[in-house]
Amino acid sequence: MAIVVGVDVGSLCTKTVILDGDGGILSYDIMRSGHYYKGAADESIESALKSAGLKKSDVSYILGTGYGRGAVAEADAEVTEITCHARGAARLFPEVHTVIDIGGQDSKVIGIGDNGRVINFVMNDKCAAGTGRFLEVMALALSVDIGEMGDLFFASKEKVEVSSMCTVFAESEVISLFAQGHKKADIAAGIAHAIARRIVGMVGQVGLREKVVMSGGVAKNSGVVRAIEERIETRLLVPREPQIVGALGAAIIASERMSATIG
Amino acid sequence: MDVKYKVNRLQTTNEIRPLVDKHWADLRTAKERGELVAWASGPTFIFAYAMGMKCHFMAGYSAYCGGIGAGEEVLKVAEMAGDLPETCSYHRLHMGMGEAVARGIPINPQAILPMPDLMVAGRLCPEMSHYAEGLHRRFGVRVLPIDLPAVANIEDMPRVREFVYRQFKEVVIPTIEEVCGKPFDYDRMSEILSVLKKVATLRNQCWEFFKDKPSRWTLWDYGVSIAPVFYLMGNPAGITYYEKLLKELQERREKGIPAIAPDGEKYRLYWDGWLPWAFLGKFMRKFTPHGAVVLCGRYPWEFFPHPELIDPEHPVESWADLYYGMESHLVYTFSPKGTIDLIGKLIDDYSLDGLIMFSSKTCRVMNLAQPEVIDVLDKKYGIPGVIIEGDMIDSAMISDAQIETRLQALYEMIDSRRR
Repeated sequence: MAIVVGVDVGSLCTKTVILDGDGGILSYDIMRSGHYYKGAADESIESALKSAGLKKSDVSYILGTGYGRGAVAEADAEVTEITCHARGAARLFPEVHTVIDIGGQDSKVIGIGDNGRVINFVMNDKCAAGTGRFLEVMALALSVDIGEMGDLFFASKEKVEVSSMCTVFAESEVISLFAQGHKKADIAAGIAHAIARRIVGMVGQVGLREKVVMSGGVAKNSGVVRAIEERIETRLLVPREPQIVGALGAAIIASERMSATIG
Repeated sequence: MDVKYKVNRLQTTNEIRPLVDKHWADLRTAKERGELVAWASGPTFIFAYAMGMKCHFMAGYSAYCGGIGAGEEVLKVAEMAGDLPETCSYHRLHMGMGEAVARGIPINPQAILPMPDLMVAGRLCPEMSHYAEGLHRRFGVRVLPIDLPAVANIEDMPRVREFVYRQFKEVVIPTIEEVCGKPFDYDRMSEILSVLKKVATLRNQCWEFFKDKPSRWTLWDYGVSIAPVFYLMGNPAGITYYEKLLKELQERREKGIPAIAPDGEKYRLYWDGWLPWAFLGKFMRKFTPHGAVVLCGRYPWEFFPHPELIDPEHPVESWADLYYGMESHLVYTFSPKGTIDLIGKLIDDYSLDGLIMFSSKTCRVMNLAQPEVIDVLDKKYGIPGVIIEGDMIDSAMISDAQIETRLQALYEMIDSRRR
């Protein structure tokens, strides 16, 4: 049984997926990357192996992805997160043609062809606006747990505009909205719509083709998901664990490479 | 990345630096010899050259500063003087140099130029207007503005060509005659064009070696060889340089030597937008280890791709025709439609696998419609493209990890389409 591992070392979180020889998910792990990416990758692999009841010596192939892919010390190869997200999303939803991935510090929209092949993509550049980090900062400004942000969206009654695309300026805008007497839920909804506005521009560049999958940690925020759905007038397919899509794709590619080697 | 790729460096390209250094050294010391100095933007410097003025060209100076590693410090002076970091880095570079001299701020002496007696401001974009205006307002430079409109429809070329030609004849030449105090030297302009015709013809012969599989050289090699068809225009040393380069490329073909060892490129790529003058080495290190070679690009192909149309016997008419004539229609390639036509031809000519659209954060004119261009060309030719954001000179606009990821994703897209 060829056990393969996909490790996605992102700017905020490191994710690991372990597949068995038939491509089934044996286990996965999600942890904060911290400042030491190599350590995070090692620790995440260890944790996933432990959950699956495996040892490192059981692993046939490790493939790294994400911004810290170079830090996966024991990786046999590395592939970009763009290809990996496409492959992971296509495994979970074979009919997918567009992936919206909003991670810790970047967001991307990927156009997908047959067999999970990347046709085109766009990414945000050098700016945390509309990313997981943006949401974290906004949650702090709202004094709520980030997990509550999605629920707050649905409690909103009044439309509030958060116009700034800059994380720092948006934070001061939130403080100013509080000062104007706006409610927490309405501001949270405004934040979700601000993210959606940014993503929709990227979707426009790639070209919207259904089905659309949303991956990355921000997909756990149901408010942002709904805000994007409203703007693109399309239902988003969200995996049960959207954070591991890239690592899953990495593991799938690892499995294919193993098969090619054996074959 | 099992194959260890390595650049096979051309010997001839080592000979460009002395020519370039001499050009800038002559310019720096021109005033000491009592010579008149012009600065230029757009295709206007040839008129100053024809009158014996020492002249510098906006993008040429920026390329030079990038090459000598002086860009960053000069940009910092501009920002200190109040220039916004988001404005054109070519503009900021010139303002920074002017401010450094005016305020006595030490910068690399090789980056210092004398203020011009005339700025011939050919305005191809809004920033070129701001650049000329800044030189006049901040440093009291006499500015001669002319308009060089973008052309979206090729059918409009004849009318616009007439408009531009009349500006050359009725505005540029009389003003330069007034500044120099002598009649315009049409004979010298013809000589310059004769040399340019020879150099560009040789250069086109060198371009043929990009068609080889594997290619014999890279766009970066051509990038450092661009001065003879650019601001060294009219210098016969350019003929010698390109004769040598052609000979070396012919030898490479005979001996089977590729641009990158051991066996040549895995990916043949196109580069859109400005060349990243200050980061040529940085980008090369992102291509070569993956077996990628950039072969051609829109901007480097702007420098007289049709030397057969250069007519030294009718210099001013020919100059207008080179940019706005129906046959050459160089300015049309600045438009998205023209860009698509040009890249399509390059895809065919050079058997390209992928497109890199370099999107300068401080030059939005050059980036016009890049996503649309990728989309149209992908549908027509089935090759992928990526947009990478950066700048020609300003490292604050360059994000290494972002660029690395985009380029690797491009290689992966090419691989997946080959399977």
